[in-house]
Amino acid sequence: MGLLSIIRKIKRKEKEMRILMVGLDNSGKTTIVMKINGEDTSVISPTLGFNIKTISYQKYTLNIWDVGGQRTIRSYWRNYFEQTDGLVWVVDSSDLRRLDDCKMELDNLLKEERLSGASLLILANKQDIKGALTPAEIAKVLNLEAMDKTRHWKIVGCSAYTGEGLLEGFDWLVQDVASRIYMLD
Amino acid sequence: MEEERPDPNLPAKNLDLDADLQKKHQAMLDRLSNRHHARLDNSLARRSDSTNSSEATSSFLSRFSESKQSIDSQLADSRLIAQSDPSRLKTHFANISSSISDLEKLVAENSYFLPSYEVRTSLKTISDLKQNLEILNSELIPKRKFSFKNKATTKKELPKEPEPVKSDAVSVTNFKIPNSPGFRNKTNVTLIQKFKGTEVGEFTLSDLDSCEVRLIGCCNAVFMNRLKDCKVYLGPVIGSILIEEVERCVFVLASHQIRIHLAKGSDFYLRVRSRPIIEDSNVVRFAPYCLDYEGIEMDLEKAGLSEETGNWGNVDDFKWLRAVQSPNWCVLPVNERVGKVRVGDLESGNEVCNINSRNLELAIKGR
Repeated sequence: MGLLSIIRKIKRKEKEMRILMVGLDNSGKTTIVMKINGEDTSVISPTLGFNIKTISYQKYTLNIWDVGGQRTIRSYWRNYFEQTDGLVWVVDSSDLRRLDDCKMELDNLLKEERLSGASLLILANKQDIKGALTPAEIAKVLNLEAMDKTRHWKIVGCSAYTGEGLLEGFDWLVQDVASRIYMLD
Repeated sequence: MEEERPDPNLPAKNLDLDADLQKKHQAMLDRLSNRHHARLDNSLARRSDSTNSSEATSSFLSRFSESKQSIDSQLADSRLIAQSDPSRLKTHFANISSSISDLEKLVAENSYFLPSYEVRTSLKTISDLKQNLEILNSELIPKRKFSFKNKATTKKELPKEPEPVKSDAVSVTNFKIPNSPGFRNKTNVTLIQKFKGTEVGEFTLSDLDSCEVRLIGCCNAVFMNRLKDCKVYLGPVIGSILIEEVERCVFVLASHQIRIHLAKGSDFYLRVRSRPIIEDSNVVRFAPYCLDYEGIEMDLEKAGLSEETGNWGNVDDFKWLRAVQSPNWCVLPVNERVGKVRVGDLESGNEVCNINSRNLELAIKGR
């Protein structure tokens, strides 16, 4: 095999990114993925297990792994950590009572060595609901400023219901992952 | 890379630059090919020579079908074992189950290069295998019959314990979480909230004991937490409802999504666009939505809930991931249902009629 064909093949593969979506149950992970993909979001059942969506985004192919968030199946999240380029943590900004649960689960996740290189996008979802905390408030509650300095992260307010903020969040994530690992493009 | 080779006719300065550039270029190529190899090594640890992804796929498929066949034959052996040596069945099933999870792991490991069709079919195969195992398991190993137990009533005080610790955890973040609208810490009262004409976000019901709650009109999301012996009647919720730690309650709810955690001995009358789920719950029963108040049709329409979907009976139990019916929930028998519940928005406690309270008491005693 010639050098050129190897390079071509690498480049083709390099255009792929693996994105892992996690967060507590009821935060809207599946709805976000469906909304980005332009699918009907009016009938979505709580995720029992996981969904994989392959989406073309700009010049990249995103493999989005949307993993259920119910307490019982959170212990299976670690089965999906391998090879993750981008991590999306979804927060229900209107669920004030469980914010401490949310913080605890995120802290545990970020301790995971296999995710240490992944860019982290925090989506403060459900901004359309009156009484929801703003992204700045969520950042405070989750104590994001105290995060490891080597981590690339950003918090974006969004609404999976209206679609607002989703593109901004994913634009950042894709650009950040791309600039980290696909420098030649 | 011929074009990169320095031209002997160029001045020495340019030559330096070119050499520099070439070095950089080479470093980049090295990095790329390193990355390429690392990926291959990770995913195809067993294959040393493969650079071709279709080869990798076919090698995965052959490994997959090998394991599948061996699991199939193990499954087929189960019946023989059941006849000859039933005591071995449990370990036999445990072995099969671990082979299936190995297979699942194999798919997960290889999923990044597999075509999505292969991932889907493999996952389907795995879930079929699991289902077969489940069926055999329930057929061959006699299960303990499920029955309701009379629990000692002294347990009531227990669930309160872990809460104070949690609130400490929040205060660490030195941010005061604002209180959202809702009813909290009430005993033995009727609580009524009208949403008509006002923009409502989320609404919270928490720490209620022996209360009756009526929320009339649409809102976006409802959270319920620690309710005991309550009756909760809700107009349509546009977003989702999350219920945690409820005991001996009756709920009449309509929503896009409904999640029920840690519920005990409660009845749910639901209309829901997706499948309701329960987790860590038991003795919960389900029936169709039965609320009525003036203008409810308009509200149902607004929330996209004007049609009965039949989903009230499609309950997923996250603590019972098996093919057979979960013992934690059942359909509420027709003759024990409350009938149409009509609530008004007046302050009178007599507005709720038609509730067959005798049946409710019976149902609760039965637990």
